[in-house]
Order: sequence, then structure tokens, then C-alpha cells
Amino acid sequence: MINIIVNDQYNIGHICTRQQCTSGLGDKVAFRWISAHQERSDYTFHNLDSESSKFAAVLQSLGFDAGDILFTFLPKTPEQFFCFLGTLKLQAICGTLFSNFGDEAILDRLGDAKANGVVTKKSLLKKILRVRHQLPALKFIIVTDIEAHQSADILSYPALMRVASDDFIAPLTPPETPSVLHYTSGSTGKPKGVLHAHRSILHQSRTASEVLNLTDSDTFWCTADQGWVTGTSYGVIGPWSLGVTQIHYGGGYDAKLWFDLLQKEAVTIWYSAPTALRMLMREDAGLYQGYDLGALRHIFSVGEPLNPEVVTWARKTLDKDIYDTWFQTETGGIMITNRPGLEIRPGSMGTPLEGIEAAIIADDGDLLGEDKQGNLCLKTGWPSMFATYLGNDVVYQQKFKNGYYYTGDTAVRDGDGYYWFKGRSDDVINTAGHLISPFEVESALLEIEEVAESGVIGAPDELLYEKVVAFVHLHEQYKWSKELEVKMRLHVSNKASSIATPQEIIIVDTIPKNKSGKIMRRVLKARYLGEDAGDISTLED
Amino acid sequence: MELLQRLNEIFREVFDDEDIDITPEMTANDVDGWDSLSHVNLIVAIESKFKITFSQKELLTFKNVGDLLNSIRGKITTC
Repeated sequence: MINIIVNDQYNIGHICTRQQCTSGLGDKVAFRWISAHQERSDYTFHNLDSESSKFAAVLQSLGFDAGDILFTFLPKTPEQFFCFLGTLKLQAICGTLFSNFGDEAILDRLGDAKANGVVTKKSLLKKILRVRHQLPALKFIIVTDIEAHQSADILSYPALMRVASDDFIAPLTPPETPSVLHYTSGSTGKPKGVLHAHRSILHQSRTASEVLNLTDSDTFWCTADQGWVTGTSYGVIGPWSLGVTQIHYGGGYDAKLWFDLLQKEAVTIWYSAPTALRMLMREDAGLYQGYDLGALRHIFSVGEPLNPEVVTWARKTLDKDIYDTWFQTETGGIMITNRPGLEIRPGSMGTPLEGIEAAIIADDGDLLGEDKQGNLCLKTGWPSMFATYLGNDVVYQQKFKNGYYYTGDTAVRDGDGYYWFKGRSDDVINTAGHLISPFEVESALLEIEEVAESGVIGAPDELLYEKVVAFVHLHEQYKWSKELEVKMRLHVSNKASSIATPQEIIIVDTIPKNKSGKIMRRVLKARYLGEDAGDISTLED
Repeated sequence: MELLQRLNEIFREVFDDEDIDITPEMTANDVDGWDSLSHVNLIVAIESKFKITFSQKELLTFKNVGDLLNSIRGKITTC
């Protein structure tokens, strides 16, 4: 195992930048930035160190200190990486927000975290300003693409960076120091802030090496957005802790362009998501002819289960295997996985990594044997285990029983130790690898004048794995129309996010609820799927 | 109101951005938040406001705002 901890320094920002420079990689390309319009710029580890140190100095000059919380609300841009690593260097906490979040999603997260600062770009600023009056802790908004400060608290990133010194050195950072904050959705209530600690780098580095097979001679492309855990654990921390060159592309999905990039940049390890891979599978097979992917050693996938058809397609069309990996925001790094050297069983999650003890546990706490479906649990103590749910330790404690962390997923273990994902034990929707809270979508729909009640479920979808389906009961005086559909779609998209937008809206006379008024989503799901709803004795009259 | 202006209003509403000014050359890479899911919102909104429908095949041919404009223009003039 590679030892990345030198002199007890666990600081993620330091290890990913300065430590790489002092070990002789300063002039090596840390990442090639490829903009949406395909302009290329290279940043060395020395550049990454210098820019992130400058940003740490900027935060310090603004009065930020260890433990303060700064968010990035940016699409994929070089500044995302400088801000993330610079914040961690200062021992402040860095939260990352998906740039397609709407007003309410931003308010929920910045408000819950009592964020002190946010870095964004001009086109996204207005979303923050609309909720700013509800964020009393927010002291500064730093904007990456304005040349001069707009006010005393809306500041220009270029202006701040121009005068910042790059001699900032991260203080010696103990392993338990809080580091990265990602919000994750539950089936009830607001999203919870999953707080990690700098020690997570041990596991992220180890899995980047042992699972993704990264070495410092690789060129790595992780397509995940930094708003999500894969984007920070494996788009930043894992590879850079090993001195690996990455490419980061600022544009969206485009099959031809993606394959042009794989070939032209000679990507050796590629980490993407099942939805993207399924989209590639739907393209004309002729598209892939003529590409030389000889440099590409391995393809990995994460986000939602990878269906066997995709594995078969990749073998036939690309002559490559795809290794599906499994982890969660809370686990911080890969736990159960397919990997080179382990026979792939298409559709399986793979096996737990050495040192990770997984178990299938019944609702009554009994450990279950092979081929029995139950709660997928992990024995506590892995290095990248989350430290808490920010400000919500009660819910954090509820995730643990008898020394096991309950993941919320259900699974089966076969006789050979392979795990097979079966579903969620709650109502959380996994759409294109993003967890969506039905409660958040229902709440957004209820803000629409015409809507009396709503119930939201995830339904199987060939492309997205699950799609958001909304059952809506309209007030008597309103009628369903195409205009109303547009209104609902845009309201959810602009309040929550585009990924939360219902892909199907079904108008009903009533929403099934139990006698205490709780929406019975399982009844809605059974109706949608044409299945037996099971015990409905608690259904209100 | 000119077609470009009407379409611009829809873009502003869909992408929640009052500063968007579309041009025929513009692609998804030029508008923050124009991903595959918000693209569905855009198409549904255009269909609703112009009272037209796009076929799946047509949708695959749109490479930029200009393609979209041409298609809308063709449909509303043949209505």
C-alpha cells in the first residue's frame, strides 16, 4: 500500500498539491482543462499548489478560519479545484453544490450549514441573491468571472487572487479535522450534510490505486461533477494524492466528442456513470468504428447499478470490460466493487475490498446468510467513514446499530461472496446516479397554486435507472393542460434542480395516505407498476 | 413578436436566467444548466407555447438554437 501520510500531515489540500511538488512532480501536468468549446489549458502540480495556496490566503484575509464553511456553486471549471483545495488547506470545510440546483435547494444547503461564504459565477449569482436575505451567516460571495468587486461582500475572484500571496502553507492537520461537506437526500425532511474528515484521503488514495489501478503514469478521466461525492473523492482527492494527471472537460454529454477525447488525450483509465454508458450504448455502433482506444486500460462505473447489457455491449463494441463500483456519499470511497483481477459477474456490485466488512442484516438485526435479501450494512471503522451529519447527530447515530452502518440499500450476497443490489429500504429515488428526495419534489409541487396534493415515487427507467414520477391531485377548479405540465416541470426544476423534474405526471383524484396523514408512496408505486400494494390496512378511508 | 424573441423568453423561463440572449449559433455548451433533463423541459415548453410537436427523430437533428428555430418556423408556417 502506498503511504501518503508524511510527518502526520493529513491535510487533503496539502497532500494533493504541495506534497506532489516536494516529491518532484511540480512540473507534471495535474490536469488538462478542456473547455466546453474545447480550448485546452494545462495546469501543473506547481500551478495547482500555487493557485490553491493563493485562495487559502484570500480566505484568511477575509477572516475565514478553521471550521468555517465555504461552498462552491460552480460548473466544472479550474477555479472549482483551486477553491476546493485552498479551502481545505486552511482547514476550513468545503461544501460543493451541483450547479443545476435551484433556489430552494441552495437555500436548504447553505442555510443548514450556516455557510460563511460561497464561490460562484456571474450567471449563477442571481440564484443566490434571491435567497440571500434568508442566509444571515453568509458573509461573502466570491464571483469567478467579474473583474472588479461588486460591493463589500460580492467580491471578484480575479481581483482577490491578483494580490494574494502563494506562500500559504497548510497547518499540520490531524486526521479527524473536518474537511468536505456533501448534502444527500433522504426520503423525509430536508437534505442532510454529510461531513467528512481529512483522514478520508487514506481510503480515497488506496482505492484510486487498488481499484481504479491508477499510477503516476496514467491519464485519468472522471466524468463526475464536483457537486457530488464521486467528483471530489475521485475527480480530485484520490488521483491527485497519487500524482496522477487528469483531464477535466467542461462540456456535457456528446458521444462523438467523448470518444474524440478518449482517443486524443490517450486516456488510460476512465470513470463514468451507468446512465452515460447506456446513452453511449444507444448510439449507432458505427460511431465507435475507427477509434483507437489502445491507451485505455480500464473503464469503471459508479452511481447506480450497471445493467449486464452494458457490460456485454462494451465487450462487443469497445473490446473492454466495465467494472462497476459501489459507494455512497457517507462512505466517502469505494467499498464493494468489481475490479481488474476479479471475475466480473455482470449485474453484480462485486465483492467488498479487503478490510471492508459488509453484511446483509435482517430488520430484526439478525445476520443473514447467502442468497437472503436484507439491509446492506458495513462494519464501522473504514478510514473514509463520514464524521457526522452536520448539526444532526441524532440522525447520524440512527444509521448505526451493533457496530454496523446501515446503508439504506438492500442487497443479496451469493455463495461466492458477490453482492447484488436489490433496491432501497426507503423511498429515495436514484435517477441517473443522483439521489432525489421525493419529499423535496412533493414540497415544490405543493407550492403551485393548482396543486392540492402530490405524491412522488421513483419508477424503473431504461436510461436513468429510475425516473421521477409525480402523482398530482389538482384543486377542483383547475383542469390538466399542457401549460400546467410545463409550469410544474419548470417550477420543480428551478426550485430544486433539473434532475428532480418529474419525467411523468399523473393526475389522480386522491393521494393515498395512512391514518396519520403520511403519503403511502409504496401504494402509489405498486399502482404504477400494476403490482399488489400489500398490506393497506393503515390506508385512510 | 419575432420568433427569436419568443424563443428567447422561453429560454429565460426554462433556465431561470433573465440575462440569456440566444443566437442561432448557440449550443447547450453556451447555457449554464442546459443538460439532457432540462432539454426535455425546453422542448415541452416550446411545444406548449407554440402549440406544435416534435418527433423523436427531429429532436436528434437539433445541433444548435438555429436548428431549433428553423424547425419551429417550418411548423408554425405550415399550421
